[in-house]
Amino acid sequence: MKKRFKKLTALLLTGTLALTLAACGNSEGTKTSVDTSDSFTIGFSNCSQDTPFFANMTPIIEDYAKEKGINVVSLNADNDTSKQNKDIQDLLVRGIDVLIINPVNEDGATAGIQACNKAGIPVITVDKNVTSGQTAWVGRDNIEMGRLVGEKLIDLLGGEDATGTVLEIQGTAGSTTMMNRRDGFNEAMKKAPGLKVVQSAYCDYDRSKAIPATQDLLQANKDVVAIFGHNDDMALGAAQVCKEQKFDEILVCGVDGLMEAVLKIETGEYHITSSNDPVLLGQTAVDTAIKYMDGETLDEFIDAGTVVISVTNAAEYTNKELDFATMVK
Amino acid sequence: MMKNINFKILLQKYSLIMLLIIFIVISTALSPNFLTPNNFLNLLQQASIPGVVAIAMTLVVLIGGIDLSVGSVLAFSGMITSMVVLNVSGPGGIIIGFIAGLIVSSLMGLFTGLLISRFQLPAFIASLAMMEIARGAALLTTSGNPVFGLSTEFNRIGGGFIFDKLANTAVIWIVLTIVFALILKYTVFGRSLFAIGGNYEAAMLSGIKTKRNYTLAYVLSGLLAGFAGILTASWMSTGQPTAGNGYELDAIAASVIGGASLSGGKGSVIGTFGGVFLLQIITNIFNLVGLPSYYQRIAKGAIIVLALLLNNFVSSEKTKKK
Repeated sequence: MKKRFKKLTALLLTGTLALTLAACGNSEGTKTSVDTSDSFTIGFSNCSQDTPFFANMTPIIEDYAKEKGINVVSLNADNDTSKQNKDIQDLLVRGIDVLIINPVNEDGATAGIQACNKAGIPVITVDKNVTSGQTAWVGRDNIEMGRLVGEKLIDLLGGEDATGTVLEIQGTAGSTTMMNRRDGFNEAMKKAPGLKVVQSAYCDYDRSKAIPATQDLLQANKDVVAIFGHNDDMALGAAQVCKEQKFDEILVCGVDGLMEAVLKIETGEYHITSSNDPVLLGQTAVDTAIKYMDGETLDEFIDAGTVVISVTNAAEYTNKELDFATMVK
Repeated sequence: MMKNINFKILLQKYSLIMLLIIFIVISTALSPNFLTPNNFLNLLQQASIPGVVAIAMTLVVLIGGIDLSVGSVLAFSGMITSMVVLNVSGPGGIIIGFIAGLIVSSLMGLFTGLLISRFQLPAFIASLAMMEIARGAALLTTSGNPVFGLSTEFNRIGGGFIFDKLANTAVIWIVLTIVFALILKYTVFGRSLFAIGGNYEAAMLSGIKTKRNYTLAYVLSGLLAGFAGILTASWMSTGQPTAGNGYELDAIAASVIGGASLSGGKGSVIGTFGGVFLLQIITNIFNLVGLPSYYQRIAKGAIIVLALLLNNFVSSEKTKKK
């Protein structure tokens, strides 16, 4: 009896596993659409799908390309550079005409990109760039995003004569995005010498790490007038701490244009963000691929653009259905 | 000579407390903001959720197991609960959300426990597999997106304060620690965990339902991790599929600093409480002083080694005496 139970359970477990695997297989399948005469196939290699920004990118590119009658084969590298290289190889085998890639990091996908160059397949990097081999890079100027938030903040604090301490909650150590946002923000801060910037430990863009860091920094620093997070997720954590500890006058700002942040700007719990909209980014990447296939020459860097959102214009970007504020109308 | 022995007994019994005191003294000297009521209350809040996860870990470490899935189970149950809370309004939604999150996380613990106790998979591998499954499931629920816009009533549970000062989560952590300390000390089940971890064969021969209790320890581990996940979601007012990343390692470190042995049979939830608190003090003092977080990680590693060497020193002295 016992033995039979064991066998049954084993069977059940295996069955569940098999089903799960099958389900995974289905959802990763290719999106095919009607073949028109000038249709082509885009291969999209995404670095990961475990943050909202990256997770959104795949369906955005797939859906937009479908609208334009283009096939997309997309693969997810799970933050693993060696998997990304293998993914690119697989895409080449499947016969793509253009590769769009959001690389895990700047150098990790070199082998795959060289293979594309050899096969004469154009490489369009999206969001993050690579060191060599790319035809064009569709991205955003993170220095500019940091600077815009800094300038708006000085504005809201009453101009360049403002004084006080500004806490900077930092992203991931060594990340280019983090360094650019930091440098842009601090460049803007130089215009208001009365504002002293205090940097936190690295919080990996993670809200649950930003909360204790904010608590500790508020403990260690007096007259804090503002908090700048390298992304909205961390800054939202800081905003929560301010609310809990009744620092209602502190201005909280971040980067990314997360909808949660935009909604809180309207209620006054959050103050500034700079949009980093995956919809526009993904669509621009697909448009760039189309331009290439039409024989146009591409610029090396194609800026997807950003906009500062604060209390004056938050209403224009409010849409509870979305995860990010979008400039696409 | 007499004095020497007394010192050793003292060291053996109170090594963790002494380590804590040493660190509190150093931290007080380093920053005037450290030994303030406010900072102490912050510390309690910061340590509370990792603290609940560490209780879960201690239970399975006691039986000689390990549970690498706690961080992922935390994320998954947080996602389940926040999705229910978002879609079912009112207090009913919160209650159903809690129950759903806890059931799912206990089932995950049950699954891991059965794999180990009935199918003889190594605990490390079985829980590693569950870590992947639960993380994947957490990401799958919303295709990687966080759930936000949760009600203020839900937020008040994990984000609320008693007398406007003491975080609810801190109270929950303290209460759970006491409850599990009592269970381990005074119930048949609790004591059987020590027996199973100490010597599995002997425990089985002496009539302890080893397989059942082994599995039950994993169910409790999943349940506690899931509860911690609900608290995280409630505290931050958002369900994050990436929550709890790396929590399993901090929990293992805290258990071991607190005197648990990874080969089983030894450990206590009170010790783990101290271990979690010690690790949190390190992060806190580095933040207060404003040193880069690289040093923080080096210091954290050094403390783990130091605490273990102290433990080993004490226990090797003990065996020598025999």
